[in-house]
Amino acid sequence: MTNRTDASTASAEGAMTFRQVARETIRFVLSELKPKGKMLTPFNVITGVIILSGLVMIAFRFAYGLGAVSNLSQNYPWGIWIGFDVVTGVAFAGGAYVLCFVVHILKIKKFEPIIRVTVLNGFLAYVFYAGALLLDLGRPWNVINPIIGNSFGLSSVLFLVAWHFLLYMICEFLEFSPVVAEWLHWPKARRILEGLSTGAVIFGITLSTLHQSGLGALFLLAPTKIHPLWYSGNIPVMFFVSSIFAGLSMVMIESFFTQKAFKDRIGHELHAAHDSILLGLGKGAVGALFAYIFLKLIDFVHYKQWTYLDTPMGYWYLFEIVGFVLLPTALFLQAIRKRSAKLVQFTAFLTAAGVILNRLNVTVIGFKWYETVRYYPSWMEIWITLAIISMELWVFRWVILRMPVFGEAHHVVEEKTAEDMEVVTWKASVL
Amino acid sequence: MTISRRNFLKVAGAAGGALLAGSATSANAAQTPETSAGGVEFNGMLVDTTKCIGCRACEEACNEANKLPKPKVSFSTESVFEETRDTTTEAYTVVNRFPNEKKPDAPIFVRKQCMHCNQPACASACLCRAMEKTKEAAVIYHKDRCMGCRYCMVACPFDIPKFEYHSATPFVWKCIFCNERQQKGEQPACSEVCPTGATLFGKKRDLLEIAKTRIYTEPDKYVHKIYGEHEVGGTGWLFLMGAPEEKLGLKTNLPTTPYPELTSGFLYGVPLVFVLWPSLLIGLNYLIKDSKVDEKKEASHDEQD
Amino acid sequence: MEGIRFIDIYATKGIEYLIVISFLAVFVLFCRYMYQPREGRAAARIAPSSVTRFRVPEGLFYHQGHGWLRPEPDSIGVVGLDDFAQKLVGKVDAVDLPAVGSRLAQGEKGWSLVVDSERIPMLSPVAGEVVEVNREVLRSPEILRQDPYGKGWLLKVKSSKVASNTRNLLSGKLARAWMESALDKLHPLHGESLGLVLQDGGLPVEGIARVLGGAEWVDLAKTHLLTEGE
Repeated sequence: MTNRTDASTASAEGAMTFRQVARETIRFVLSELKPKGKMLTPFNVITGVIILSGLVMIAFRFAYGLGAVSNLSQNYPWGIWIGFDVVTGVAFAGGAYVLCFVVHILKIKKFEPIIRVTVLNGFLAYVFYAGALLLDLGRPWNVINPIIGNSFGLSSVLFLVAWHFLLYMICEFLEFSPVVAEWLHWPKARRILEGLSTGAVIFGITLSTLHQSGLGALFLLAPTKIHPLWYSGNIPVMFFVSSIFAGLSMVMIESFFTQKAFKDRIGHELHAAHDSILLGLGKGAVGALFAYIFLKLIDFVHYKQWTYLDTPMGYWYLFEIVGFVLLPTALFLQAIRKRSAKLVQFTAFLTAAGVILNRLNVTVIGFKWYETVRYYPSWMEIWITLAIISMELWVFRWVILRMPVFGEAHHVVEEKTAEDMEVVTWKASVL
Repeated sequence: MTISRRNFLKVAGAAGGALLAGSATSANAAQTPETSAGGVEFNGMLVDTTKCIGCRACEEACNEANKLPKPKVSFSTESVFEETRDTTTEAYTVVNRFPNEKKPDAPIFVRKQCMHCNQPACASACLCRAMEKTKEAAVIYHKDRCMGCRYCMVACPFDIPKFEYHSATPFVWKCIFCNERQQKGEQPACSEVCPTGATLFGKKRDLLEIAKTRIYTEPDKYVHKIYGEHEVGGTGWLFLMGAPEEKLGLKTNLPTTPYPELTSGFLYGVPLVFVLWPSLLIGLNYLIKDSKVDEKKEASHDEQD
Repeated sequence: MEGIRFIDIYATKGIEYLIVISFLAVFVLFCRYMYQPREGRAAARIAPSSVTRFRVPEGLFYHQGHGWLRPEPDSIGVVGLDDFAQKLVGKVDAVDLPAVGSRLAQGEKGWSLVVDSERIPMLSPVAGEVVEVNREVLRSPEILRQDPYGKGWLLKVKSSKVASNTRNLLSGKLARAWMESALDKLHPLHGESLGLVLQDGGLPVEGIARVLGGAEWVDLAKTHLLTEGE
């Protein structure tokens, strides 16, 4: 290990050449690619099988066309790869921009311990789920067309969404890069990247607002095809608001699993504050849910949706609203009152299920509900979706086990010098 | 934090209100310049369902003109009419037979193909401009640009574009109004071969006049509506109907707003958010940083004692 | 009649997006301009997590006028100026020390710093007779900047009262608290832009007083060193 510290101190002095630094870094990264811990855990085996077979299916899909692996048809051009992977997956990644707003703009220190893992999750979610979009495209090699200016479809909401995905991934990566710089022991890079943090956060929040609502705006173009109980001119706003509580719920769910799986990586600060953080997130989620309920109510009245309630779809709608919007709201309120972190976690799962249900209702279930032959995903579509989720989990785990994701987000310089001097620190701050 | 949400609701609400207002003219048109495109007027097609005899010559001509593979069932077979067909990746237009309640032994034949809307949903939806509306009226398809995202299929109110699900290099196919022939000054293939003139090609202005004249002179023969005159803001292909549209397999309850206007409100809100959000956020950041630093200093003061 | 000509409601969309992009670019410049430090100190920028340390070492006794005293055996006391004073005045051109044999009184003028041909007096933390003067500091005053508590000592004072003098001086935790309050008096509004700290964590050469006080920096410095009247 002395080699590494030599390299880092030397590079700080500028004594080592760039080539030497690069070589050291590559060696380091390659050594980190080796797996840690047991190889044959049940989780590894199951997800490994899913991933491998999923990759085979993906190859199949590229060789024989979309129809070979999916149940997509001329009547149902978009299935769960769009409806679940992209539309729902991106909603769940909304925790990143909400928490960045809370921690970096509102400067609420309480949530600092989880900001890094949330940003990581957001970044990976976009890479994998928006990346899964490439699987769904008929001609994915042409995806650069609207990017390099070959043909800008400026009138299209999808154009906006695609560009935002790209830009947002860059933002999230910038947000997360100080962690990478720490891992690689590049202190100067880390300082520069942390300086960019506020700008990246502001840009990221703006982009998020627009593409979360943009995903909803995509469906504005199908007024006759989406069931009136789910179609409204306000779909963009509702998708935006639901992305807030979807993202927060996902943060809570993810913390539920990482607390168990990565116990030893989590600092004592986060352990101790965990319950309080959960309650805080719950409060945020319930606020957004509350707003969402009233948005739905406004739409209900505006579009005279009560006329549709006494139909099978109407019952389904009520099921979604009562069981997965009203009930979580009540449960969150109860949990906050009783200060019960366990109930908050359970309700987070319920809320997440509700978001999945709602997004699927708009994009797949409520889409062309009048057709006699309906769409349902083929087992291969589901399998490939699971493979993508597994791949994302593997990368997530790799990062958590190696990079200081659960370390402190900010450093306050209060070190004792060699002579044990008492120091008074004075933060000279700008802005 | 309610400010940003409230603001967004205000913006979105205003935008939503504008487009929910329904009338396509007023606010939106005021912002959007109508291009006269050098004085070129749309071409159009008038399909008179009472004149169609179901000979399917139009299907055959389309097949030949676009060099499509020959279908398994020949063009003169009548059994195809037993079920309602849809266009496919290899058949850009199909003729369907519908029972005529007024005269049971004279069924009505209606052809189905791309309607070449005035403001097409597919062109508005396409993020790589593969679907494009020309100024002559044809909505054409640029194969080289297409990504295969199928958003045009989701958007099209008539469910026309068809995707090659079983190809490794799939394209989207639909009628392109024989654009190349039109550029050369010829008629589209289908209207050229139509023996009864049920499919009539001409300038849209003229076709509308003809259609209105026919309705006026023979009011019992036709439904008093030109299908396509106002649907989704108007389409290039107009239909004169011998029976109500729901009996003829034509899509009913389509809005009269052109589909691009359904998303124009949202897309107009985008620059607004891009300007407002960073400004608000940096303001918040500044204010809060200030108060936090003061707070912290006071706290550390108390700690020292 | 309508519906017979080509219409594109998104004809201006491209320009709108370009305006947005240019707004964002200008916005960044606008923010930078707004938050630039006062009087355009071009060299100064701040990395958000950097701090300035005002060293207050243990084992020394501090006077309110920002002098320090280190008792040594044989009733000798080593005297100097503290980190606060040094950072306050910035680069010192020369130090005007009392001659060997002169008598000092605690809380009275002890020595002066010459900065930019302005004379800034400082108070002596101890009473006694000057027995030694640091020639190094006289020759190279920049030692004060690097090591005000070690090589930057100013005087050695002999006095039987060294021990009792320390009773009026601050040390340890109290000294830290006093330094905090001195900093607070110096600059209570941390939120304002100061542009004090360079990117490597060092202070600009001209000292805090110059940055805060502008033309009146001499008076400001004297105020904080408790020597306004001198």
